[in-house]
Amino acid sequence: MEKEIIEHGFSFNRRRFLSSMSLGIGGVALGSLLMPDLFKGGSLDEESLAAGIPHFAPKAKRVIYLFQNGAPSQQELFDYKPKLRDLFGQEIPPSVRGTQRLTGMTANQASFPLVGSFVNFKQYGESRAWVSDLMPYTAKIVDDLCFVKSMYTEAINHDPALTFLQTGAQQGNRPSMGSWLSYGLGNENKNLPNFTVLLSRGVGNGQGVYSKLWSNGFLDSVHQGVQFSKGEDPVLYLRDPDGMDRKERREMLDNLSVLNDLSYQEFGDPEIVAKVKQYEMAYRMQTAVPEIMDLSREPDDIIKLYGPDCLVPGTYAANCLLARKLSENGVRFVQLYHQGWDQHGNLPYEITQQAKDVDQASAALVTDLKQRGLLDETLVIWGGEFGRTSYTQGKLTEDNYGRDHHPRCFTIWMAGGGIKPGLVYGETDELGYNIATNPVHVHDFQATVLHQLGLNHEKLTFKHLGRRYRLTDVSGKVVRDILS
Amino acid sequence: MYLKLKRFAGQLLFAANVFVVFLLFFEDLLVVPVWLQTVGRMHPLLLHFPIVILLIAMLLEFFRFKPENTSNTFYKSFLENMLLAGSLFAAATVVMGMFLSKEEGYGGDTLLWHKWTGAGIFFLASIIYLIRDQSWYKSTLAKMSAVAVVTGLTLTGHYGAELTHGDNFIFEPVLANRKKQSVNPDEALVYNDVIKPILEQKCTSCHNPEKVKGELILSDSESIKRGGKSGKLFASDQTGLFFQRIHLPETDKKHMPPKGKSQLTADELVLLSLWVKQQPDFNQKLTELKETDSLRVLATALLQPASSSDQYNFVAADADVIKGLNNDYRTITPVAVNSPALLVNIYNRSAFSPAQLDELEKVREQIVALNLNKMPVKDEHLKTIGKFVNLRRLDLNFTDITASGLKNLAQLQHLRNISIAGTKVGAKDLESVLPGLKALKSLTVWNTTLSAGDISTLKKKYPGVIFEDGFRDTGENPLKLNPPQIKNESVIFAGVLPLQLKHPIKGVELRYTLDGSEPDSVKSAIFKEGVSLTESAPVKVRAFKQGWHGSDVSTFDFFKSRYKPDSVRLLFPLNRVHQAEGANTFFDHKLGVIGANNPAWANNWGGVRDNDLGLFAQFDSPVSVSNVGLHYMIEEDTGIFPPEVIEIWGGTTPDNMKLLSKFKAGMPAKGDKPVLKTVQTTFKAEKITCMKIVARPLNTIPDWHRNKGKRALLLVDEIFVN
Repeated sequence: MEKEIIEHGFSFNRRRFLSSMSLGIGGVALGSLLMPDLFKGGSLDEESLAAGIPHFAPKAKRVIYLFQNGAPSQQELFDYKPKLRDLFGQEIPPSVRGTQRLTGMTANQASFPLVGSFVNFKQYGESRAWVSDLMPYTAKIVDDLCFVKSMYTEAINHDPALTFLQTGAQQGNRPSMGSWLSYGLGNENKNLPNFTVLLSRGVGNGQGVYSKLWSNGFLDSVHQGVQFSKGEDPVLYLRDPDGMDRKERREMLDNLSVLNDLSYQEFGDPEIVAKVKQYEMAYRMQTAVPEIMDLSREPDDIIKLYGPDCLVPGTYAANCLLARKLSENGVRFVQLYHQGWDQHGNLPYEITQQAKDVDQASAALVTDLKQRGLLDETLVIWGGEFGRTSYTQGKLTEDNYGRDHHPRCFTIWMAGGGIKPGLVYGETDELGYNIATNPVHVHDFQATVLHQLGLNHEKLTFKHLGRRYRLTDVSGKVVRDILS
Repeated sequence: MYLKLKRFAGQLLFAANVFVVFLLFFEDLLVVPVWLQTVGRMHPLLLHFPIVILLIAMLLEFFRFKPENTSNTFYKSFLENMLLAGSLFAAATVVMGMFLSKEEGYGGDTLLWHKWTGAGIFFLASIIYLIRDQSWYKSTLAKMSAVAVVTGLTLTGHYGAELTHGDNFIFEPVLANRKKQSVNPDEALVYNDVIKPILEQKCTSCHNPEKVKGELILSDSESIKRGGKSGKLFASDQTGLFFQRIHLPETDKKHMPPKGKSQLTADELVLLSLWVKQQPDFNQKLTELKETDSLRVLATALLQPASSSDQYNFVAADADVIKGLNNDYRTITPVAVNSPALLVNIYNRSAFSPAQLDELEKVREQIVALNLNKMPVKDEHLKTIGKFVNLRRLDLNFTDITASGLKNLAQLQHLRNISIAGTKVGAKDLESVLPGLKALKSLTVWNTTLSAGDISTLKKKYPGVIFEDGFRDTGENPLKLNPPQIKNESVIFAGVLPLQLKHPIKGVELRYTLDGSEPDSVKSAIFKEGVSLTESAPVKVRAFKQGWHGSDVSTFDFFKSRYKPDSVRLLFPLNRVHQAEGANTFFDHKLGVIGANNPAWANNWGGVRDNDLGLFAQFDSPVSVSNVGLHYMIEEDTGIFPPEVIEIWGGTTPDNMKLLSKFKAGMPAKGDKPVLKTVQTTFKAEKITCMKIVARPLNTIPDWHRNKGKRALLLVDEIFVN
């Protein structure tokens, strides 16, 4: 009997197997209707992102980030705090300072006297935004700008703060914002790198910028930022060597790619493909870059708009003009760094010079994009890596003082790209030390930038070392209040 | 034991019946003590038991008289027990429900239906239990009973859910969506289309005629005006109850909506606040409010579907076609994942051909944006573009088009943004094109032939279109030119040096002096190609141009150094950190700069402190020397001082050199700015082949300095021999 029962178990014929299987499959199918990603094999996002297409209809297509390296003092430029003048020389109340950690430069300072701005402020435009007299050109375009006065960060020193803003993490080795956008959106113009970097330097106390800030991190190396330098060859090693013409170059590349292809078939390393792509792009850049660097087609008005320095290679003004030209030609992310904003001492003199460097050209860039009908699809961002303290660093005299690093609040402005124009968002307290309303964390800011470009910051991920990484790490909320 | 328990349960059921009948009879008199309220509130918890148990029991009851089941003893007893248990749970649930219904906020028809269907199930189940073993109870009756109980369960459950979740809970997502699309801000009523939907979403599940929490009903205007238990809702200031309750912190007991229920969003909160603040009017139209009124602005934004979510009514193009059209100079990408709309960018002027446009006809329906900035696009090409029927955005900046070409765009009914900056389009031409473009929102006309007057006329004529005219140089606020630059590779020369001055701006006049005086725009010499220097001189230059302020003065010091030694060696060592290029540093025609952070600093400054700077130089053929100069740095703050004394020795062999000159340099005063200087000596010309130069650092730093008494650092970058 026992034997028969066992045999009965085996006599499960094919027809019955199939019919019960079909019911089972039906059940799974029913369940899968509720789980769209179940049978896609890898997530939907990664597949679509490989093609470099936005997740949803974007407001902006490109970004120009005017990074003010060294952290400009908000109290002297945009965050008007008359109370600080009234309280000149008085100690900052401990209740305001709280438990904020200090840098090694002021941690041992015996007193922390408040100091108001040496420069006067006025209100401008229909938005009545306050702007200091150091920024007369920016003052004229406030109705195109959205000031965020309530930015805050976690880092207190330049390098980690810069790295945090650019890559979403304070330690290096993550991809920069421009690399993420290049990865998420793909090329608009296949003849130029998707992410370019332009450097300039003012007379103020400077802090270094390093190529890790435009690193592709763990992303494919085609997403790396390409630095344009100020010399006659803006992109190094682009020119054909002496004695080689374009035809020869083409033949060399063709033969090389055959070899590379063999090598790829043997090892399957995707970096080989990336390398071939880069060679090809460099070849096309040989004609595209001179077309961009050519300033002779720029109308005279443009020089007046950006200021005469825009024709001196390597200046901030020249970089702004170049940024516009690159962006206009489809470069997704143009990153400028202007060094010299680290005013620990001698602030009144240095910040005046720094402001002179950037004011006219920054405003000109916004105007220029607007008059070409490009501002609505280009997001322009102006700002540093953190703010500066409302008390002085070092000796306080009537006409001279300095300000230390301050992560708790700083001001940036954005223009175009679907950001509400003529808005002042967020407030700091009367002493400009803490945020009073609408704080915006660095990750919130990054999430907002990605959102404007049609990318969901939680879905723009890359799997590396067994974990999915994203620009906003594990936090960040889109600041919807500032979207138009 | 089992039988005993079962008998007890049967008796309990009977008792429960009596109790429920009693409660129903005297319901109006029922007062629930506080501790029993807790029992009552367990109604929603317990009610799931009778539903499930009775469903199982009724399913079994339905098939009870099937022959194979009548003989199954387990079936029989299991069914009986399930029915008993189900009925008992039903009893408990009904009792608890009665208690709960006595709490505030319950009432209305739904409650009545719920109560009687619920009680009905209980009675029916009890009766079935009682009569099911009678001989006249047959298959048909069993089936009827089962169907009746299941129907009752469904109805009771439905009414109960309506009480807890509010009317139309199930279809709400579908209905809400449908409603949202259809309101036009111009016709919308403030209450009906803006406020009421919020109340319906967040408030009326508890404040409706059926469930009247706090004696307040928010589902119709009359009841809203009436208010609730605590009084009227609105007051002329912010003390109105409604305003207060929604603004209390969420942890407050009186905060509305209560903790745990879905909360008002920030926008909804503001909308409600604004509405109650201005004495709620239930028939006001949105357009009756002032255009700048916050309520109107917010409500309009809420009612208008976001403009970004363009709805496209065409199908996507074939993915392979799109892929095939993409090439190195033309990118075609979907607006977003799953969007049929395409964006097209064409780049690289030198690679442009009209075929790049013609080929796009394959996707002519799908193109919504086309970027042709700076391409040599001509009028005839616009004919092709005229076929892209769904085009929203067209960029034609700095192309070769004119207005006659623009006429081809007249049939593009979706075209919203056009950029024609930097083209030759004129005002008259535009007049003939604009009326056709009904959807146009913005036209970028900067740097065209349109005058400011033309543009203001256009602005008046087409108020719905933004004409972007950008920056126009009126010449009112002239800018200062930036200073001139030099192109000469080195400022040190041996014989004659053609001066190379330049300025980045075209048409600039450079005026210069060589005598150290400030150049001006009238008298100073104008720089031309071919101007050469034959002697050391400070070149001062300024740039001038019509319509600009003159630039600051640029000063470039040029140094003549006729003889370069053929070999040099150091007599004494240089400082470990100021080695630069060793002995060659001083004749390499490269100058250093101020500022230790600059790489040129470390490469060009040779320095000594503890011993003299001594050089021995040799010339292969004799030279006639009459002048020697040293270029050095002064930075008193960091202790860099001029040499104290310099000796020049010369002769025809190393052994018989004589002292040609011994001279001193001027010393800085306290607080002097860092500066680069030259000190030189002139003596009677001497034919020499060997030369020795010895410069001694300042031995004792003066008393005014914080390093007083110590030896100073001497930094030299170049030595000139003439």
